[in-house]
Amino acid sequence: MKAALKKFIFAELIYHEAPDRFGEDDDLLEAGLDSMGIMRLIMFAEKEFGVTLPDTEIEPDNVRSLNALEKWIQQARSA
Amino acid sequence: MDPASPKRLSEEAGPIRFNPADYFTFVLDQEIRDAGMPGGYCGFVLELGGEPDLESLQRRLDLLLERFPRASARLEKRGKRYFWIPTGRRILLERHRCSDGDSLRIILEIFNRKPSSVEPMPLSLHWIAGEVGGLLLLNWIHPLLDARGGKILLDFLGSNQPEAFRESPSLIEEKLSQWSLWKKIRFFFKAKSHNEQANSLDSSLPTAAEQGKQSLRFKVRRYDAAETQRISRLAQQTTGLAGKTLYYIGCFMRAMEQAQVPVAKEGYCVPYAFNLRRQNAPTPVFGNHVSCLFARATRSQVGDRDGLFAHLLAQYRQTVQEELDFAYLPLMWLGQWLSPARYAKLLRKQKSGGELSSAWFSDIGDLRWGKEGFLGVPVDGLFTLCWMTLPPGLALLIGQSNGQLTLSYSYLHPAVDESWLERVMKRMDAELLETVA
Repeated sequence: MKAALKKFIFAELIYHEAPDRFGEDDDLLEAGLDSMGIMRLIMFAEKEFGVTLPDTEIEPDNVRSLNALEKWIQQARSA
Repeated sequence: MDPASPKRLSEEAGPIRFNPADYFTFVLDQEIRDAGMPGGYCGFVLELGGEPDLESLQRRLDLLLERFPRASARLEKRGKRYFWIPTGRRILLERHRCSDGDSLRIILEIFNRKPSSVEPMPLSLHWIAGEVGGLLLLNWIHPLLDARGGKILLDFLGSNQPEAFRESPSLIEEKLSQWSLWKKIRFFFKAKSHNEQANSLDSSLPTAAEQGKQSLRFKVRRYDAAETQRISRLAQQTTGLAGKTLYYIGCFMRAMEQAQVPVAKEGYCVPYAFNLRRQNAPTPVFGNHVSCLFARATRSQVGDRDGLFAHLLAQYRQTVQEELDFAYLPLMWLGQWLSPARYAKLLRKQKSGGELSSAWFSDIGDLRWGKEGFLGVPVDGLFTLCWMTLPPGLALLIGQSNGQLTLSYSYLHPAVDESWLERVMKRMDAELLETVA
């Protein structure tokens, strides 16, 4: 899951000199993920992983890193 | 001649064809010119705390032309398509001294001057020296690049590693080439119906004027760090982390409505750009790499603050879900073969012939210059400005740097009533900071 998220983020939303070196806990918001990008990322995750991510849960803590995103998506899956 | 001189390189560069978004902005440029104004010129202004090394800046301009021949080019129509033809003409840093402390007046003089009829430059750079520091103005014509490109170009001029910046293909054409013919056709019809939906609501406008001699003016509202943080927090509470831009748009619709918009129709439509550039990417520098999105609301929706933000967010979610952001690309691609006037009639205006945009809008986001600033000089602030069509005669341009938000209102005088705009700005403050009674 994290690999697919990472591939989408660095291909479509954020430029990074060396995406391979971007860690799973590194800060995506610091790296440039903006409000429009977050919405596109959520839509990608919903389609790719077959989940619904509620608007009320779109918070910095849920999108700040690849690990946080994965945890959020898994929680939504099991809800 | 030095084999690597700009002149020689630009001769080798050859014509550079407009991409679909370049042509869209060219259509707007032509409308602005047809109304007797200079054209679709934009400005990016850095407020610098000291004077940068101007000789070094000139050398960077020379390097810009060497690396990106399109920086100095003329427009040419070949068949039905438009091209940039590099001329190799040197871009000279234009130096101004502000003796009366009113450096903004000099910016307005630059914007309101008639472009030279002999090969006007598509891009110019101005240093306006103040008593301490000054303003660095990048002035360009929209078909050349978008606002995000303007930031990248300034980064190039101030970078220690200019070699990291390079020419690259149009992101729109790259995207289109990844899709099958059927996907493009499907998207085309989606975009057409999206356009028709946007057209279904007659847009309220800041002015009834459609012609007459106009000049560009602007007002800048700066929010300090505490106010900016407050706005950011409120935006997150209201439209969520994913809807900051929609918070600005919703507040702006409400501010116009509360100030009694001069031409009140069924609702508001604020088109805004969907940028295909990745955040922080140093390339592409030139070209427009945007698609178009619409924020639309009826006047009764605008009247209900909470309801309006929920509506705008749902509308945006649906747009992304249905890929309407990307759907616009094939429409723009096909539009390249239409004349500017026909393009405007078929794709830009409302069916009634009226103007779709209640105002022009741009949010360039949170920009950073780092500890080194610009060529070693601290960047104290920034703002942007632009010409726009009449109507609407008004543009709200948003940017943030050093944790401080700036709203810049560009408008046409006398088309837009300044006392009305002052009221809009006051209401905008109240809406953004939620100090609404």
